[in-house]
Amino acid sequence: MAAIAAERYTGASIKRSEDPRILTGAGRYVDDIKLPGMLHAAFVRSPLAHARVLSVDVSAARALPGVVAALTGAELEAMTVPGPDALMALMGWTGPTPEFTLLATDKVRFAGDPVAVVVAESRYVAEDGCELVEVEYDELPPVTNASFALDPSSPPLFANLGDNIASPHSRSEFGDVTATFANADRVIDFRIGVHRHQNVPMEGRGCVASYDADLGVMTVYAATQSVHVSKIAVAMRLGMEQDKVRVLAGDIGGSFGLKIGASREELAVAAASRALGQPVKWVEDRGENLTTSGQAREESFDVRAAVSNDGDLLGLDVKMVIDTGAYPGMGTMVPAIVEAMLPGPYKLAALGFESTAATTNKASYVAYRGPWASETFMRERVLDLIAKDLGLDPVEIRLRNVAPRTDPPAVMITGRPLAGVTTRESLERIAQLVDFPAFRRRQAEARARGRYLGIGVATFIEEAPGPRPPEGRSGPLSTESMRLRLEEDGVVALFTGQMPHGQSHQTTLAQIAADEFGVPFEQVRVVVGDTDVVPFGLTGGSRSATMAGGVALHGARQLKAKVLDFAAHLMEASARDLQITDGQVWVRGDPASAIGVGEVARRAASGQFGPGVDADLEVVAAFDGGEGGWSGGSHCAIVEVDVETGLVTVERYAVAEDCGALINPAIVDGQIRGGVAQGIGAVLLERSAYDEDGNCQSATFMDYLVPTACDIPRIEIEHLETVALDADVNFRGVGEGGMIVAPPTVVNAIEDALSPFGVRIYEQHLPPARILELIAAVDSQK
Amino acid sequence: MVEITLRVNGAACTGSPEARMTLADFLRDDLNLTGTHLGCEQGACGACTVIVDGRAVRSCLMLAVQAAGSEVTTIEGLAPDGGLGTLQQAMWDSHSFQCGFCTPGMVMQAVAFLSDHPDAGEQQIREALSGNICRCTGYQSIIDGVLLAAERNRKH
Repeated sequence: MAAIAAERYTGASIKRSEDPRILTGAGRYVDDIKLPGMLHAAFVRSPLAHARVLSVDVSAARALPGVVAALTGAELEAMTVPGPDALMALMGWTGPTPEFTLLATDKVRFAGDPVAVVVAESRYVAEDGCELVEVEYDELPPVTNASFALDPSSPPLFANLGDNIASPHSRSEFGDVTATFANADRVIDFRIGVHRHQNVPMEGRGCVASYDADLGVMTVYAATQSVHVSKIAVAMRLGMEQDKVRVLAGDIGGSFGLKIGASREELAVAAASRALGQPVKWVEDRGENLTTSGQAREESFDVRAAVSNDGDLLGLDVKMVIDTGAYPGMGTMVPAIVEAMLPGPYKLAALGFESTAATTNKASYVAYRGPWASETFMRERVLDLIAKDLGLDPVEIRLRNVAPRTDPPAVMITGRPLAGVTTRESLERIAQLVDFPAFRRRQAEARARGRYLGIGVATFIEEAPGPRPPEGRSGPLSTESMRLRLEEDGVVALFTGQMPHGQSHQTTLAQIAADEFGVPFEQVRVVVGDTDVVPFGLTGGSRSATMAGGVALHGARQLKAKVLDFAAHLMEASARDLQITDGQVWVRGDPASAIGVGEVARRAASGQFGPGVDADLEVVAAFDGGEGGWSGGSHCAIVEVDVETGLVTVERYAVAEDCGALINPAIVDGQIRGGVAQGIGAVLLERSAYDEDGNCQSATFMDYLVPTACDIPRIEIEHLETVALDADVNFRGVGEGGMIVAPPTVVNAIEDALSPFGVRIYEQHLPPARILELIAAVDSQK
Repeated sequence: MVEITLRVNGAACTGSPEARMTLADFLRDDLNLTGTHLGCEQGACGACTVIVDGRAVRSCLMLAVQAAGSEVTTIEGLAPDGGLGTLQQAMWDSHSFQCGFCTPGMVMQAVAFLSDHPDAGEQQIREALSGNICRCTGYQSIIDGVLLAAERNRKH
């Protein structure tokens, strides 16, 4: 490969080192793993949303030639250890903990709940075997929505909870809520909802589990956002010592929050491999992915807003209900994040916040790109609704309410300091990028011709990672570790717990380390996906840019210092006089002294310097996020709504973003565009739909519509000059922002387009049929 | 089992798939050509697209036995010696992809389309690729890669 000429790699759109393998079919995804003697699993799944399991008869399946095993829920239960969701345990969840098994035993809790697993010589035969499993059910009333779930008369999904409350009602108040509402010029009520939709990575869940009975070691090839979280889950549920579990991962075909840790099915596959002493593969098909892997959002907000006649948003009082689906996990933890982030960048003086999490007979709630994003949707919708009432422009009402950038920084009413937040700048930039007065003229002309254009603006901030709290960061993900080693071939190897699944860390972390250490980009190798060699970590929550980028920078700096200390002995010079550039160590001012870093590493490994010299050219670095900071930005959409068909076309989409210093602009822009595309899809197309019996109605790509190349416009992106808070690390996360703010941006634009009809929108999913209903509903009131 | 003979990536090969085996599974499992990915097995996402006798085909909807006697090209056969063809290179240069799972199908679809429509513009390319789902990119970088490849093709 030709060397890339760049003064600095960091900040340049270096071509991805992942691409040559991906573009030639040489990527290795979990379904590409083949092991000797490998068997294939398929799951028998419940056709009912809520039922008692009376009997499971696997005898005919076992008799089918090619079937090696057919295991019932009870058999699996006997092989595994009960316990909470591993992620919840890791995050220190202390609320209600429902007891459940990997496969259903006494009852099924959603249509698709796994009841038995058939293991066979091929996936084809395993699926044949599933057809032969007879399950008798006694149907129970399905609990298909949160309001019924919260009704004490609803049948509890979990006997040990006694009701369908996954997280009990709680209320917090910040500021003087009562006085703020008493003194407000206006108090406005809304009920705003977000529909159920889901991640839909192009590669579904899957794993190959391989148990070595002689060694007592379980090896799992996984598709996961964290090999270590998967390992913890396997060890917990299989009752194994953690050092007897190794999790490996190669290329991963997307996730967007779905693949954190190991799912119930993956754990069942691992248990089956241990029982059989043979490798077992399971890769879900698209039907399983859409109906059983997990779904997100479906939250409702009863909102009271205290407003001044001038358009100041003084206070909010919000009651949130979240539908966690059948097996509570991430969904129970989301309301606390919603609460903390709800004020956004605004100088909101009072907030009352209540939340309840309900279990229902639907696929379980999973994290999806900005899991708390409904706070932004609700707040940005509320601002537009207020603006309409008061006759204010959407940019104007936001500028009016944004907290000023002061020193010390303004503090969100929920506690986070708004250090370095550039919301005002991003709104002003959007107003420059998109000529609003010109658009309004065009809009008026179009309306005169019966065409309905609309413009929408929304803004967000994301704690990615957020400013350093006064007490320092805490929790399992508050520091990021990395092991770095100078290899004898001159390669700087970075061992990271990040588990990229599209984020391009093998490129971005190498850019940072190459600059900091002083080697060509091609001379840095980023090692991921093996619990035996990488430290703990997780790719998610837009953490990587700051946390992994930061530890790559500091780690490379530490490794360089160590290499120079050693080279000082080798070159008989003071370390202070040495430098590394382009992979060569040399005495400053004496180019002839240069020796390659590989030669330095080989000399270190030779042992010739004895115990008095530290010749171990490896460091383990840790980084706590430094001063951190916020990501954020303002987006603007221009849409056209065809009021005859209800079809919405996004004509233009512009972004003014601040994610700190850019590591690789092309990669950053890809993250933003991908998030915006998912946000547009959420509004115009995507919905995880259930009927009143709890049957999932979106089990194929003909029913669950994701955006295609014809649905997404070119997305214009401008990056704002960032406010540096840290001396070294000002890269901030950018993975989630597009998905967080695109839905309100698009919905605000649609409402603007429909303003001649007087339509007000309190929901997020607006497919053509719904657009027509909204117009018709207003017409019928006239 | 049914004996079949076909040509895959320029080489003759024989196999004995079950009658019900899809071409995609035959390529992946029997021929070890795992570059062809399965994204939905419903013919909707395009990840499994390969070229059969010059036409882009969803290998999840075609049985292996139906490919008997055909010439099949997969992502592995697009460029010799593990190098990159014009389109692949343009896509690398354009930062077209992220997770890479849709990539083989997208590349094969675009290769087949460009060979028939070397002068296609952006809207035509978008329509031609609208049966291939990418969940990561928002498509713009992919479209840019195809446009760049078309431009390079025209110069040569």
